[in-house]
Amino acid sequence: MAGGGRAHLFSPAGRRWPRSGRTRERHPAFRNRFAALATLALLALPAHAGEAPARVMSLNVCTDQLAMLLAKPGQLVSVSELAGDPSLSFLHEKAAAYPRNAGTAEEVFLARPDAVVTGTFSLHNTTALLRRLGFRVEEFSFEQTLDTIPREIRRMGGILGAGDRAEEIASRFETELKNVEASLCGPSPTAIAYDQNGIALGSGTLADSVMRAAGLRNLAAELGYAGMAPFPLELLVVHRPDIVILREPLTEAPALADQITRHPALRALKTSHVGAYVPPGSWACGAPAVLDAVRALRAVREEAAPCGKAPSG
Amino acid sequence: MSQSRLNLLLCLLVLALFLASMLIGPARLGPLDSLRALVAGGDEATMIIMREIRLPRAILALAVGFGLGLCGAVLQGFLRNPLAEPGIIGVSAAASFGAVLVFYSGLAGAAFYALPAGALAGAALSVVILLAIAARHGSTLTLILSGVALTSLAGALTSLVLNLSPNPFASYEIIFWLLGSVKDRSMNDVWIALPLMLAGWALLVFSGRALDAFSLGEEAAAGLGVDMRRTRLLVIAGVALSVGAGTAVTGAIGFVGLVVPHLVRPLTDRMPGSLLLPSGLGGAALLLAADIAVRIIVPGKELNVGVVTALIGAPFFLWLIVRSRREIF
Repeated sequence: MAGGGRAHLFSPAGRRWPRSGRTRERHPAFRNRFAALATLALLALPAHAGEAPARVMSLNVCTDQLAMLLAKPGQLVSVSELAGDPSLSFLHEKAAAYPRNAGTAEEVFLARPDAVVTGTFSLHNTTALLRRLGFRVEEFSFEQTLDTIPREIRRMGGILGAGDRAEEIASRFETELKNVEASLCGPSPTAIAYDQNGIALGSGTLADSVMRAAGLRNLAAELGYAGMAPFPLELLVVHRPDIVILREPLTEAPALADQITRHPALRALKTSHVGAYVPPGSWACGAPAVLDAVRALRAVREEAAPCGKAPSG
Repeated sequence: MSQSRLNLLLCLLVLALFLASMLIGPARLGPLDSLRALVAGGDEATMIIMREIRLPRAILALAVGFGLGLCGAVLQGFLRNPLAEPGIIGVSAAASFGAVLVFYSGLAGAAFYALPAGALAGAALSVVILLAIAARHGSTLTLILSGVALTSLAGALTSLVLNLSPNPFASYEIIFWLLGSVKDRSMNDVWIALPLMLAGWALLVFSGRALDAFSLGEEAAAGLGVDMRRTRLLVIAGVALSVGAGTAVTGAIGFVGLVVPHLVRPLTDRMPGSLLLPSGLGGAALLLAADIAVRIIVPGKELNVGVVTALIGAPFFLWLIVRSRREIF
């Protein structure tokens, strides 16, 4: 695996963007084969100036969310395979209507879309290759917080030629977020988002900004954990956060990764609210669905520390 | 050194390491407070950490280490092979595969003992295969090579099952099953594994007298009234229970059974039977120490304990091979 990030051991990140390693292995053969075809491809590709692309392909589960929201009927050629995964893709039901792609350059080449939307984090080799082949590739950053979402919605709207609809969705998002934040009151209970394998979502993550918007203090961020980081179970018990936000198993297929969310030590925390409070997939990507996560955590917050009362623990 | 004195010293060492294991962790708790919370209760957080997180971890390190040390001594005596050990001859890897098959197919959720049953079946099968091979070709080398083949096969099958799992985390769990760990285990795991391991140890200790007779050669043993078939059954069942049950909850931990009998043998009268208890205790001490080391060396980013035992054991294994050109026993 490229980069060998230890995070891969714990996080689904490796799976969410699973192709980088494999693409690199294939690369030389790939390049040779396509170098010869590149000229042909360039001739066949339509020019992409001015008007909205008629056929768009999304290679990443997070660009899938925005593209499905904003694309006109028939405009979105295919979405990523993970778009159908309920634990990562909030719009998984909507995704059932689209063909799926595995994010490889071969598929893009065969489908000949007018534009490709993907994540900066994923498919570096594929992106570079597609650009060399003359495809228009639009990358979206995945270092997201609540504040970046409206901008990303508008940008996707611009790419898809759906600026008005994007503007409408983005400004509604901003208004609703403002309303939620304005209604905050009283004390801020501590919380931790505790994922499979004991990975906490620390500062800089989307989840961190969601927790803050819901009036919670992110314990992991306050203790200096950034990004997705392994968080010792012992420390969690020592700090006894008021709310422990677990994540539902990703599939029905078992994995040891889920055992920690069922560890007796978590059950034994009597003063904490422990549960999978966030709707599946709602805060996996920066998309309007994140507001559902904010609202869900607001509700738990009300329960843990009603307005005007000190938090328990 | 007399047998009972050696055992007493090793017991004290195990006890000291067990206590140390209970007192080390990312939560900095005072030693007195933590021991009080363990025994008498008190502060909620300290009590949960001691009873639900550190206690099962220490118990599993002790028990799995004891079982591995004991199995190493038994296998080395029974096969009259200084390189025999559950990890090297493929028993641990086969147990891992059995556990993986049961766990990732979802069968483990169906019944409490399904997971160790799978590991036990894998371990027993591999011991039977190895004994059959050893019975036909007695050489040290054949057994070790068969073990290498079994380990590779079981490891490949384990990886295959994990790669085929639809759960995205499964493929990252290969490292747990091939290089075990006792991190974040719970008392549930202790209840699954410990009774079976105790039964396995009893069977193995029971075989001690027969092992002594075997050291004189099979015919002499038969002359002394030792039942070869019964001893073989005891060894198969005992090793399968000890290694299988342990591997089901901690993954495969290698080399403990290889290193420990060689370290304690010079301190005994060199009879295989009197090596059993010291090897068990030595295994427990080694695994407890290795598990303390993984928590201290890279805090926060824990190594799997199987990595440490392999780092100690593999060079030792090489050294043994070089030395076995001469005489080891």
